[in-house]
Amino acid sequence: MNPFVYRRAIDPRGAIDMAARPDACFIAGGTDFMQLWKAGISAPNLLIDISRLPLTAVERHDGGLRIGALARMSDVADHPEVRNSYPVLAQALLASASPQIRNVATIGGNLLQRTRCLYFRSGSLPCNKREPGSGCGARDGENRLHAIFGASAQCAATHASDLAVALVALGARVLLASQNGERALLLEDFFRLPEAQPEQDTVIAPGELIASIDVPAAGTWRSYYLKVRDRASFEFAVVSAAVVLDLADDRIRTARIAAGGVGTRPWRLRGCEAALIDAAPNAATFERAARLAGEGAQPLRHNGFKMALLERTVLRALQAVRGDL
Amino acid sequence: MTDHGDDQVMVTLRVNGCDHEVVADVCATLLDVLRDGLSLTGTKKGCDMGACGACTVLIDGRRIKSCLALAVMQDDKDILTIEGLASGEEPHALQRAFVEHDALQCGYCTPGQIMSAVGLMQEGRATSGASIREFMSGNLCRCGAHPHIVAAIAQVAGIVP
Amino acid sequence: MTAVVTDKNDDRVPTRIEAGIKVKGAARFAAEIPIQGVMHAALVQAPLASARIRHIDASKARAQPGVVSVITHEAMPRLNQGAFLALLREPRVHFAGQPVAVVVAETATHARRAVALINVDYEALPAITSVTQGSSEAFAPKVAGRTSTDSRRGEPEGAMAAAEVTIEKRYTTPTHNHLALEPQCVIAVWDRDGAGVTVHTGSQAVFAHRKAIADGFGLSVGRVRVVSKYLGGGFGSKGSAWLPCLMLGIAAARHVGRPVKLELTRAQMFTLVGRRQETIQTLKLGAMRDGRLVAMTHDTVAQTSSFADYADPVATPTRVLYACPNVATSHRLVRVNAPQPNPMRAPGEGPGSFALESALDELAHVLKMDPLALRLRNYAERDQHVDLPWSSNGLRDCCRVGAQSFGWARRPIAIGTMRDGHHVLGWGMAAACYPVYRMASEAVVRIEANGTVRVRCGTQDMGSGTYTVLAQLAAEALGVPVDGIDVELGDTALPEGPYSGGSMATASFTPAVEAAAGRVRQRLIDLVIEDGESPLHGLSADQLVLSDGYIRAGTGNAAERLADVVARRAPDGIEAFADAAPDAAPRYSSYGYGAIFAEVRVDVDLGEVRVVRLTAAYAAGRILNRRLARSQFIGGIVGGIGMALHETTIMDERLGRIVNDNLADYLIPVHADMPAFDIHMIDEDDPHLAGGIKGIGMLGTVGTAAAIANAVFHATGRRIRDLPIRLEHCL
Repeated sequence: MNPFVYRRAIDPRGAIDMAARPDACFIAGGTDFMQLWKAGISAPNLLIDISRLPLTAVERHDGGLRIGALARMSDVADHPEVRNSYPVLAQALLASASPQIRNVATIGGNLLQRTRCLYFRSGSLPCNKREPGSGCGARDGENRLHAIFGASAQCAATHASDLAVALVALGARVLLASQNGERALLLEDFFRLPEAQPEQDTVIAPGELIASIDVPAAGTWRSYYLKVRDRASFEFAVVSAAVVLDLADDRIRTARIAAGGVGTRPWRLRGCEAALIDAAPNAATFERAARLAGEGAQPLRHNGFKMALLERTVLRALQAVRGDL
Repeated sequence: MTDHGDDQVMVTLRVNGCDHEVVADVCATLLDVLRDGLSLTGTKKGCDMGACGACTVLIDGRRIKSCLALAVMQDDKDILTIEGLASGEEPHALQRAFVEHDALQCGYCTPGQIMSAVGLMQEGRATSGASIREFMSGNLCRCGAHPHIVAAIAQVAGIVP
Repeated sequence: MTAVVTDKNDDRVPTRIEAGIKVKGAARFAAEIPIQGVMHAALVQAPLASARIRHIDASKARAQPGVVSVITHEAMPRLNQGAFLALLREPRVHFAGQPVAVVVAETATHARRAVALINVDYEALPAITSVTQGSSEAFAPKVAGRTSTDSRRGEPEGAMAAAEVTIEKRYTTPTHNHLALEPQCVIAVWDRDGAGVTVHTGSQAVFAHRKAIADGFGLSVGRVRVVSKYLGGGFGSKGSAWLPCLMLGIAAARHVGRPVKLELTRAQMFTLVGRRQETIQTLKLGAMRDGRLVAMTHDTVAQTSSFADYADPVATPTRVLYACPNVATSHRLVRVNAPQPNPMRAPGEGPGSFALESALDELAHVLKMDPLALRLRNYAERDQHVDLPWSSNGLRDCCRVGAQSFGWARRPIAIGTMRDGHHVLGWGMAAACYPVYRMASEAVVRIEANGTVRVRCGTQDMGSGTYTVLAQLAAEALGVPVDGIDVELGDTALPEGPYSGGSMATASFTPAVEAAAGRVRQRLIDLVIEDGESPLHGLSADQLVLSDGYIRAGTGNAAERLADVVARRAPDGIEAFADAAPDAAPRYSSYGYGAIFAEVRVDVDLGEVRVVRLTAAYAAGRILNRRLARSQFIGGIVGGIGMALHETTIMDERLGRIVNDNLADYLIPVHADMPAFDIHMIDEDDPHLAGGIKGIGMLGTVGTAAAIANAVFHATGRRIRDLPIRLEHCL
């Protein structure tokens, strides 16, 4: 609840210039920031309002789609191009949070949202991500919802975004703007593994601003997002899967699968993908591929069920893509 | 928005069609300014963390959770709260339907449910019982008024839930 | 004589009279009462489950602008010890989250920021952080709710040994929190001379709170006023569970000599205002092949705090619901360094019926018997627990009406046969009972010279419809429309009314209100009969009727407006007081009953369980307002859905800390989780209950979790004995 100075940015350049100090933080939708700030997890001295910057467009770009970082989740979910060519994206967005949050939260902010790990969010329980060196409460604690992939001794918190899972499956790139110019990188590489520095979720540098997300051309891709959870709505994923397939002439030309709720970042299931590519899109292929989803998982005490659940979630999503459901 | 020193700012909020100049803490949420600054206590504080929906208001016609909105970010925007929903003495159709269907018990989540329902209908999501339920799920109710809330919305939307 | 009232609302049944205010956002809840010059309090809470406070350094906080006072155990005004935890009384921490200091500041923001600046030096002490950990120290409490701790009839051990079939299973239910949508709040305003106090708060029991406050501060009750006009839900958390913090807020106001407002945060509602205790229940059933129960034992171990005892009456359904000659039950508690448990909607009967009704389902499965037939086979003709006849028992009607509406007869006995693509459907049922409790109540009914009728009763409306039924009772007696009636409640300046809890408010005030209204009616009749100017002069009382605001002759056209009678003959109005109290030694045993039928849909691969439809039939005495009663029943059932599938308060046992103290991580059912509801009320005319009211607020929560768990078994063959049922249980 630390007080902050509030400044409104007029243009992206101004925002970037203002942010060139370590104690500054951008706010756009603010739906995650406000929770973090109230819990004392985020305590910037300078809050830079970027919500009125002209980065809200969703438009065709290079045959694909360029989504402005400040586009609202609900607007992107309702965008005709998204609904028609990237159903996985619309589905992931509509499965996120609540309508009120989606009306405010931005695409960039969604990617930067912080984990829902109970220990992180409490503000005072041990958590290396929130307070480096305080220990990980979850590793030997309440870890039903924690990661089976990508955890380190320091952190096993999952990445919470549904959208990020869908975008990783689509091979999206993120455009970052800073005083040094722009850089683009695969969204998959944007998210860090916790390793020894769990406090850093992404590779974004201080003062860097997400400008947009570029999604490759959909071509003949088919896609689907499946979210499994304890209650029917308004809950983070226990497990989710985003599946993108390019089916042609009874062969799977492209297969990209990412999973949510299981990894410390959106988790590519490369083993499953390899088992799909060039195979015939039939039940046997799907089952064989899905069985590989849990490969390499390192479950904790309370989340071992996620291995079987992930396999079944992937299988169901594959069936859905082919239209079996 | 002008600085007022000591972390205070003057912000002009257009609430229910009227401009209000409020001196507020720069860190204050829209919810707190509505309730404490403008005495518009119809907007409720249930969790203050965006998880219950009791604080739902419309901003520029879209439903949002006012506990997660900074008041200073809302100037030049049209804010509609439960107090501004009726046309004078004439209640909004949803308000009437909530009474008829007994879509409330304690009444604490009710303003948020109604404002959310207004947003839902504007979004074109009140198309079936299932759609209403899914797109009203950001509004918690602990008394269990859910089926009657859905029935009230369905009636106003002119559908069979 | 029973009449089944179906699901549909009748347009003639009054709507909730305060609904119009609530839908406009104009109903002012406690936190919204404008008080000039009010200060804001915020709590400093201990992060340890057990500790001694060595030192509190509040110097930085005190130096902050806007901070008025920081009160710790060193400066806390001494309150007379009551039957609740007096906070800031000693440098001892009993559970994580316990307040150890309170900051009073000019604004809520100042208070919250100052909290972060207070340094408390703790000496950590050993802590028991789970029931399992402390189970070797289990002890027998003095009572279980309002019932005896242990019970025994017949020879359960011998009968169990002789039974043809026995079932012995362990069931567990987790900690739950009430989580009313309105956070607890108190605004305390002391008189200028400090000799009296007015307290605005959301209270389920204004009179009980007044007494506790008066006792605590050494005041006469006449100097304490508690006001609670609107209550944003309670479910048990705004009764005595609220007292520790309520008293703290009042003490803070006295300490600083200014009005003080203390509003809890959502997270604080997980530690400071009670909880449904965790239970571990062992249930043993002995039966003959024909389904007849010959022996039952039900032993519960449950959590209580390290400083006070509380036991839910978990065994009540086992003691009374079924005929069985040999029954033994027990309740034991384990002290845990965790928040104090207290009653939460259907305390005891909710968790207890989960175990009993699950075990009966297990028995039915073993016996290859229809679960409903098993219940009916063991219908109890009288209450064997206290050896009294029933005042009425509508369980059979509930079973018949519910089963028929649900289509239970079509239930396949085999498991997992109702496939639907990736899903499998399952049907389960449970029976329910909840005791009729009542307490003394007073009421005043008054008619003014302009015809306005007023009802005054110091009970509360926490969403249960009390405003409306108070108006209806007077309206019916006086033949006036419900709309125009002015109801006053939620204030100790009114005649003393009952708690809002234990499903007892309506049952308690109804006889008093009916008696008071009857006296006003009698007085009106007397006035016209003896008044030569009245067109009804000289008629006898049995020739007169009151309707539509008139008093009229039963035959002919002679009539007079009530308002005219009052204006002419009693210009100051007519007022009557009445009180009512329950029988000291009841000659009948009284329960409300229900039967609930659930259809679930389980995703066979993904384990997701969703409830598709719920049919429930209730026989719970006289129903005053079917529209509102339906809402109450559904509310109770929704609580049962949460119990079955969603709710659990999670304690990290190593840290002794609750880790999901928010509404994103403590899941309660949302709109998308709602099944189709099919609710039936069986009107009962119980001649042995004054007013005929049994109470309905709790009944919906009883049995629902078991019906859902039994349906999950029917779908999947998985018997889930530990709530909540999670998707991993069904993978």
